[in-house]
Amino acid sequence: MSDVMVDATVNHGSTVEMRMPRYGMVIDLKRCYGCYACVMACKTANHTPPGVFWARLLKGEMGKFPNTVRQSLPVLCMQCEEPSCLEVCPTGATVKLDDGVVIVEKDKCMGCKYCMMACPYGARYSVEKWESYFPDGLPLSPYEEFTKKAWEEKSGVGVATKCDFCRDRVADGKDPACVDACPANARIFGDLDDPDSEVSWLIKTYRGEVLNPEFGNKPKVYYLPPR
Amino acid sequence: MTATTQDRIEEDLWIPTSCGQCYCMCGINVRRQDGVITEVEGNPDAPTGRGSICPKGLASPHLLYDPYRLNYPVKRTNPEKGLGIDPGWERISWEEAMDIIVEKLKECRDRDPRGAYFQATTTQASEIRFGVIGFMKGFGTPNYWVSGGGLHCGNGAHFMNGIMHVAWSIIPDFANCNYALNFGCSKGHGAGHVAVQNATQAADARARGFKNIVFDPFQSAQASKGHEWVPIKVGTDGAMALGLVNSLLNEHGIYDAEYLMYKTNGPYLIRPSDGRYMRDGVTGKPLVWDLADNCPKVHNDPSVTRVEYEDVAHEVALTGRYTVDGVECTPSFELLKEHVKRYTPEYVEEATGVPAASVSRIAKEFGEAAEIGSTVTIETSRGPKKVPRRPVATHFFRGAQGHVNSGWTCLSIDMVNHMVGAADTFGSAFGLGAAVGSGYEGTGKPYQIPYPCPDGLLMAKTWVYDHVPYPMREPKPPTRLDLHDMFPTSIYNAFTITSPRWFEMLERFKIPYEPDVMINFGSNSVMTMGNAEAVTENFLKKFKFIFSFQLHLTEFEEAVADVVLPDTCFLERYTPAVSFPSTFSHPQGEDDWGWTIRQPVIEPLFERRDFNQVMIDISERLGIHGNYFKGLNDSIPIRYGGEMEEKNKLIEDGSVVHTWEDVCDRLIRDRFGDEHGLEHLKERGVFTWPKKKEDVYWKWFNPSRVPIYFEYFIDSREKITKLWDEYDGKDFFDLDWSRFKALADWYPCPTHTETDPAYDMHAFYWRAVMHCNSMTQQNPYLDEVSQEDPYVYAIQIHADTAKEKGLADGDWVWMENPQGHRVKGWIALTEGIEPHHLAVAAVAGHWGNYMPIAKGKGVFFNDLVEMDLPHTDPLTFNQDICCRVKIYKADS
Amino acid sequence: MNPEANGQMQREWGWWIAIYLFLGGIGGGAYTIGATNWLIGDGAEASTALGLWIGFPALAIGSICLLADLGSPTRAILAGMRPGTSWMARGFWIISIFMILAFVHFVLHLFTGASETAGGQSLLNIIAVAGIVFAVGTMAYTGILLSTSKGIPFWRSGAVPVVFVVSALVTGHFTIMLGMALGFGGQEMTEPLRIMALEAAVLVALEVLAIVFFLQAAFAHPDPRESAERILRRRSFVVGYFLLGLAVPLVLMILAYRSAAVAGGYLTTIPLGAALGLVGGLILRQSVLVCGALPTLNMGGFEFRRIARPKELKPGIGLMPPT
Ligand SMILES: Nc1nc2c(c(=O)[nH]1)N[C@H]1C(S)=C(S)[C@@H](COP(=O)(O)OP(=O)(O)OC[C@H]3O[C@@H](n4cnc5c(=O)[nH]c(N)nc54)[C@H](O)[C@@H]3O)O[C@H]1N2
Ligand SMILES: Nc1nc2c(c(=O)[nH]1)N[C@H]1C(S)=C(S)[C@@H](COP(=O)(O)OP(=O)(O)OC[C@H]3O[C@@H](n4cnc5c(=O)[nH]c(N)nc54)[C@H](O)[C@@H]3O)O[C@H]1N2
Ligand code: SF4
Ligand code: SF4
Ligand code: SF4
Ligand code: SF4
Ligand code: SF4
Ligand SMILES: [Mo]
Repeated sequence: MSDVMVDATVNHGSTVEMRMPRYGMVIDLKRCYGCYACVMACKTANHTPPGVFWARLLKGEMGKFPNTVRQSLPVLCMQCEEPSCLEVCPTGATVKLDDGVVIVEKDKCMGCKYCMMACPYGARYSVEKWESYFPDGLPLSPYEEFTKKAWEEKSGVGVATKCDFCRDRVADGKDPACVDACPANARIFGDLDDPDSEVSWLIKTYRGEVLNPEFGNKPKVYYLPPR
Repeated sequence: MTATTQDRIEEDLWIPTSCGQCYCMCGINVRRQDGVITEVEGNPDAPTGRGSICPKGLASPHLLYDPYRLNYPVKRTNPEKGLGIDPGWERISWEEAMDIIVEKLKECRDRDPRGAYFQATTTQASEIRFGVIGFMKGFGTPNYWVSGGGLHCGNGAHFMNGIMHVAWSIIPDFANCNYALNFGCSKGHGAGHVAVQNATQAADARARGFKNIVFDPFQSAQASKGHEWVPIKVGTDGAMALGLVNSLLNEHGIYDAEYLMYKTNGPYLIRPSDGRYMRDGVTGKPLVWDLADNCPKVHNDPSVTRVEYEDVAHEVALTGRYTVDGVECTPSFELLKEHVKRYTPEYVEEATGVPAASVSRIAKEFGEAAEIGSTVTIETSRGPKKVPRRPVATHFFRGAQGHVNSGWTCLSIDMVNHMVGAADTFGSAFGLGAAVGSGYEGTGKPYQIPYPCPDGLLMAKTWVYDHVPYPMREPKPPTRLDLHDMFPTSIYNAFTITSPRWFEMLERFKIPYEPDVMINFGSNSVMTMGNAEAVTENFLKKFKFIFSFQLHLTEFEEAVADVVLPDTCFLERYTPAVSFPSTFSHPQGEDDWGWTIRQPVIEPLFERRDFNQVMIDISERLGIHGNYFKGLNDSIPIRYGGEMEEKNKLIEDGSVVHTWEDVCDRLIRDRFGDEHGLEHLKERGVFTWPKKKEDVYWKWFNPSRVPIYFEYFIDSREKITKLWDEYDGKDFFDLDWSRFKALADWYPCPTHTETDPAYDMHAFYWRAVMHCNSMTQQNPYLDEVSQEDPYVYAIQIHADTAKEKGLADGDWVWMENPQGHRVKGWIALTEGIEPHHLAVAAVAGHWGNYMPIAKGKGVFFNDLVEMDLPHTDPLTFNQDICCRVKIYKADS
Repeated sequence: MNPEANGQMQREWGWWIAIYLFLGGIGGGAYTIGATNWLIGDGAEASTALGLWIGFPALAIGSICLLADLGSPTRAILAGMRPGTSWMARGFWIISIFMILAFVHFVLHLFTGASETAGGQSLLNIIAVAGIVFAVGTMAYTGILLSTSKGIPFWRSGAVPVVFVVSALVTGHFTIMLGMALGFGGQEMTEPLRIMALEAAVLVALEVLAIVFFLQAAFAHPDPRESAERILRRRSFVVGYFLLGLAVPLVLMILAYRSAAVAGGYLTTIPLGAALGLVGGLILRQSVLVCGALPTLNMGGFEFRRIARPKELKPGIGLMPPT
């Protein structure tokens, strides 16, 4: 944990005195052009199996022709301050770390999927068994052998899984994979508690909003308006 | 498997190289852990991408390891060829494969080397420039073609942008542009050249209030991010553009006189008799009218030329009538101004479906945003210099240009820029890729500063292929199988080679040889050119022997290939020059120059071999490697800006057989000095040097002008017609040759003239960000995100239209064109499309048995694309890819 | 696309959970009825015996179904260690305690003379009362588990526990009747069964009210409305549950009550009605589960929904290149 703290203070604009950051993300919908790079980056960085999208892209359309507009909405775990997934977790597998990131401790998860019913953002995924992307019966490619191993080590089958704000990358002082990949620089990661961090500044300046505040989960992912 | 049995040293490293999932070729870093490629990221050091990346690049480990990849040479055992025929593939050794191939090539060479025909994929553009070019020159065949290149990609765009911007395409100066008109392209929104880095630029631009007005039949990515979406009828952008020109000149009286006087041929005096330049009796140079001295002057007389903005010169006439040697002539600008009067807003509304009011409003907004007269001072290598600031641009690509009016449409759209002086200056329309550069100071290469022809018009210093777009080639008696030599304005001629009368043509035009051996590098032309039946039967099946370098056994191989060689994919090989020729896909703007390379991030798996090495091997076996290397030496200056130093030249006398790696090293060392060879570039994957500001905003530093009046087209018409009359081959080319003329016009497509009311819909295609043409649907990651998207695999149709036709969301339908060709797909209802249009994404709808992930996904649009004369642009031979269809229910 | 494939629908909880909830209901319901009878003193009644008897095995099997649904059943025990935290954890305890009480009560009642001795009597009274409390808890829990699922607006209604409790009593009651009708039959059973048919009719009528209230409330808001519309589009729900699982049993029970004379009548109407009612109870729970839809997300005036892959797009196996 502490190494997370140190790296974080160095790498995410937090003031240098040792303080546990509170990680959040800003997604600028005006910049986002719906390219799926975040979705794919999350997949290839976390080796999620078929059907699992910790980062996802939803498409919306508004207005009657010719006054029609389309907009993409990148979604991920909102890392809620008040995570309803955590409230319902009977085993204590779902925990909120000091830096505000909500994770699943896979060794404690019994796979009841109650959390999946409790997350209004649909950010959680669970797979019964690891599946190849290719039809069954083929030998796994070295890459898939790797992804299988990586997935089973980090997340696993028969348990709930979710975006963990790329803890490992962040611990290494990098940005989350989806943030790095974004060609439009629409995703910004940082410390919400640091008034000088880019995320704080953006939220303040452009009146960042959270998704469906009425859920009352107090997300730490903020969106800047599309237009 | 090779990768797993490799001895497992504890390893975890990132290797810089270049992506190859589309022709943008972004710089990437590839992670290798214990011999397995596990991750791909953007390479922050490379200007091509600067650390960003797209889903295709990210997903490429699956391309490398796809269990369906072709890993061994195979040969066809079933002599029968054609669509849906089982080739009876049989694995053979490389030895056997090479024996067969060399044998066939020898026979071909004995018959006539020109019978060899190279077909390549656009997607591996940077490989083509070696294996393909070298072999053609070494073997001695002129016959070559880039799949789809002719009909879809850029016959119109590349030619016209080459003339006007010495570049492949155009794009707004996103960093400084305020108002742009987007005519059917995804530039900055997922596709196009330099896609990822453009996306970054476009997003930054949006963030600072840049307005993109998007003409598109549907709510494309760019339309949805645009300031305004203007639904337009397919194929009518030319009318729209000329309407804007008319509205600017004749309604609002907005144009940049300065620019037109000194940077275009607008002031060139035209004689009424034949529409030619009025030329100086002595020098033969075109004349302009000096308003100060009130007399004619040659175009580059110092008193009437301004190279740099701060130069002073007399004004020259853009309008009026002037008598020279007793002939009353007119500046070409005046002719244009008069000519476009017919493109009234009402006419435009009629043609395009865009309200007349919008036409003049947009023209006004554009003209005002141009801030004609405004300037900025930039820091050049020769100190601060003032240049015009024109923060407006039109840009376009495939969508606008894929029609029978391609050539003129491209010019018309760009013409809007030149009316307000918004070309290659601060904030304006740029040529893309970045084409103008004075080179790395260490060597002065790549040197690519354009220069004026004797008539003063802009000439490219470097280009993507041997012949620069201007001056035009002389129409010559044909020697090529596509009769290319006769037609100076086309890059590729699809309509000849795919015509059922092809052989008749060859006979009539006295081509003394026949299609013999086809070498295919990549390309899946059965799917990407047009109607698969026509392409296969009329063209591909005419070859005696076809061998192909491939990653998968695609529809092309299944239909016609005799031998298929397992190529390495971009992750397994060297490429010495990726972002160069920069005319093609090098980022624009002030960011550095970046010369990127490819290097193997892993040893080729199984028996895959690098196309470029194999081509050298084949040449060696044929004993033509000397000429092969000579061919490369000769091709380098035009493409990579500057002669090779003797010591770096490849040995031409055949005494040495260079390895591919050596070829790469020599080119790189020659460009950047001995200390910066292949080894050096492997560290960062890119060699960068600063771009001079005067190379970015080069317009007012270069002594050349661009045409707004295309006098030289008139000549070529006469020459061409004369030529085929010699062969009396006119009946093959029943096209509207009057389009070879000096002034732009818009011509309707067959889509617009279709009279049968049954065919009431216009079908067109667009590019989805997660697919590149036909090659990515087999990637399971990309296939999966496509299924996450509501439209990528669907046919988009307006909700009301669907209701009228009794169709519901998700219904399976047929789209059928008047020629009776039909394709199947399911529909997605939306409000985001013009109600008479149907939108289809990518080159999907695979049927090949060896690409099961791709099989049956999406819609095979191209079967609706006719390859015949009526769908061919007489000026550039671009194929029309909008089609009139009827749509009706099918059972799933 | 294909309306059956809708990305908004929850896919995680299916039949296993439905059966778990169903049996939980039966167990709780049956015991409540049995134990109440026991308290009001007709201990001899077969209905009492059956009621007490059913509680334990129903919950035992139910719990097995839950385990079967767990991704990592071996860790189920962890849930036991943190009661306070989550309704699933609370449920773990409620059910466990209930099972113990039900079991003890049943054993003491049948196989010991405990009920004869005064001390034993009062002990059993205490067990019965506690048992009823936990039985009701169990019944309620099956609904509360859903109504605390924030991700599924359809379930987040106070009506869900009510519906499930009533339905639990109905199914519990029907199970007893079924057992009696099949197990014993014969003349002397008619009178109590007649009464129970009447009770059943009343309970079913209550359930009809509850379910109508539940759905009509769901229609009031856009997010649950989608689920409500779907559930009403399901033939299994409308025909299987509402018609055959509620309406028909209601009629049959009333008939059974009215047609006092004919002994044979019970042997057809009651088992038939009860069986239908039971099947209905299971369908009810399964339908409520599979119609659970995620809320639509809103931002900048747009509505965002997850689209699901159309079935026809699953990758097919193809030919391998020769090796
Ligand atoms: N993601 C991705 N990137 C690619 C490629 C790819 O396949 N996928 N391919 C590469 C290649 S080979 C090329 S050539 C470039 C192409 O780059 P672009 O030309 O930018 O790509 P498209 O998306 O085809 O742009 C065509 C747009 O024009 C619209 N359109 C179609 N017909 C018309 C019309 O008649 N008028 C107007 N105004 N609009 C029209 C379409 O809806 C679409 O939005 O992209 C390159 N990069
Ligand atoms: N409907 C429709 N038609 C189109 C287009 C469209 O967007 N829609 N785009 C048009 C345009 S602009 C163009 S440029 C053409 C493109 O036409 P193509 O060049 O045929 O298009 P791709 O699908 O990119 O072809 C790539 C092929 O090359 C193979 N390949 C990829 N990498 C390598 C490699 O490293 N080595 C070898 N040997 N092979 C490789 C792939 O397996 C694939 O079969 O398509 C045109 N046709
Ligand atoms: S990568 Fe960036 S631009 Fe692309 S979809 Fe994700 S957020 Fe939007
Ligand atoms: S988004 Fe869902 S999963 Fe993530 S913290 Fe919030 S409730 Fe939990
Ligand atoms: S699935 Fe795992 S994480 Fe989710 S609630 Fe159950 S135990 Fe907790
Ligand atoms: S932060 Fe990491 S885990 Fe979360 S969505 Fe982005 S890439 Fe996926
Ligand atoms: S844009 Fe093309 S080159 Fe760049 S990452 Fe995507 S696929 Fe690769
Ligand atoms: Mo292209």
